[in-house]
Amino acid sequence: MTKQLRLLALLGLVVLAFSIGPTGAAAQAPLYSVWLVESSQFKDVPSGAFMPDRVFVPGSSSPMNNQAFMQLPVNVGVIKGGKDIVVYDTGWKQQDYLKMTNSVHWAPIRQQLAQLGIRPEDVTKVVIGHGHWDHAGQIDEFPNATLYVQKAELEGIQWALNYPEPHISAVNTSPGGCARSPACGYPPLTVDQIYGKILRGKAVIVDGMMEIAPGLTIHPAHRAHTAGSQLLQVNTSIGQVLFGSDVFSSWEGIRDWMIANPQQTDTVQQFLAYEKCYKITGGYQNCVAAHEPLSYSEKYPLTRNSWVGPNGSRAAELVLAPGEKSRRP
Amino acid sequence: MVRNKAVLLGAILLGLLGILAIALVREATTASRSTTLTRGEPLRAAARPALTAAEESYAVALWPMHNEIKTSALKMTLGGLAYKLKEIDRATMKAQVDAANETYRRAEIRIRKLQPPPSLQKLHAEYLDAVGLYKQSAAEMVRVFKDGRDEHLVAAFPMSKEAGEKILRVGNTLWPGEYVPN
Repeated sequence: MTKQLRLLALLGLVVLAFSIGPTGAAAQAPLYSVWLVESSQFKDVPSGAFMPDRVFVPGSSSPMNNQAFMQLPVNVGVIKGGKDIVVYDTGWKQQDYLKMTNSVHWAPIRQQLAQLGIRPEDVTKVVIGHGHWDHAGQIDEFPNATLYVQKAELEGIQWALNYPEPHISAVNTSPGGCARSPACGYPPLTVDQIYGKILRGKAVIVDGMMEIAPGLTIHPAHRAHTAGSQLLQVNTSIGQVLFGSDVFSSWEGIRDWMIANPQQTDTVQQFLAYEKCYKITGGYQNCVAAHEPLSYSEKYPLTRNSWVGPNGSRAAELVLAPGEKSRRP
Repeated sequence: MVRNKAVLLGAILLGLLGILAIALVREATTASRSTTLTRGEPLRAAARPALTAAEESYAVALWPMHNEIKTSALKMTLGGLAYKLKEIDRATMKAQVDAANETYRRAEIRIRKLQPPPSLQKLHAEYLDAVGLYKQSAAEMVRVFKDGRDEHLVAAFPMSKEAGEKILRVGNTLWPGEYVPN
């Protein structure tokens, strides 16, 4: 009897360990398929503006400093698994009023998702890494999706706008240019899209870390690009994949520990977010960058399984869940 | 003596040629370097036809009002947002929206005094339309204060959204690099 009881208790402990322990949680969470689509490409961005350590030095033969310009993709993550289709960052909408002359390959998000067999109406969740126009500019293209945005992101804009020093509260830092002040990068139209979701009761204001579905976890990365930047951890068959929006602007930056895209960035927080990717994914290979120039090439292995889609925009199949068919043409 | 003169002349000629060669090399290097260094930043604007002097003056004159309007539009949106999230009460939201509306009103008076060149008349009218829409949106939003019905926020929303599109469209012409990649 005692032996039977001991055996039963042991069995119970094993079951308990598997159900609440990390192994159990991971085993229960679905494995997700992940794709990347290129909303557009910013052409000829000065290297030093994107990565200060890689500023162009005329005559330099160092690969770090011999490149004058970079071609930056604007990457949108598409994640499918369980009951969800999730979009991480939305890209931006190129209409006649916002035709960035140096942007190429823009295509409607509907066309870009169609190559994956997905309609914008099918998307259940939209997670924005932050609220800048090139990441939160197409929220209203996903009518049925619930938006996830950090509370700190909204508070950060509010704080900046009400700051008494005009150089800090400026919505434009100079005529024809908006870059470093904390309220820059948020056109009223973009913030309206966030507000629209809140008005319709289709928004979740996240305060820190949150599991939004089994195997999908938001991590805060406050001030690592903007006040309320956030990362998204995804459970896949190649391990954990971590999307970073502009906190992870450059994958090379994560690999080589260089800051990138320092708009409203606390560079220490950006490095801490890099560290988080190493810890969560076990290295730098599964960190998904928003503007990595090497995206869709062999040099950024996670994104190498790529093809060219609508209007010359690129797409990549990062990983497939078991049973999910490839979308690569 | 004659030989000496010839040598001297030859040396002077060689020196002059050397200076010319150095100047040419420097000129070529400087030109290519400055092209390389400055090409990236202004490229956005370079692809567009440049503004005329009159258009440029108008853009410069409108800029301060544009900043005020954008700031107020953002504050108005964030006021509605904070109210919906129950972070502020109706009275606080009304105060924020009223302040924004007052900015629109004062900016509109100043904008109407601007003299746009003929080529920008349409754009000028569009900007005034946007300000009008913001004012209407604000008026609709503050009705919540009277009756507590959030439907006013829903009714106000498309107006401010349309206004936001219009000011972006104007900005695309007057300040093409208003939003840089970030």
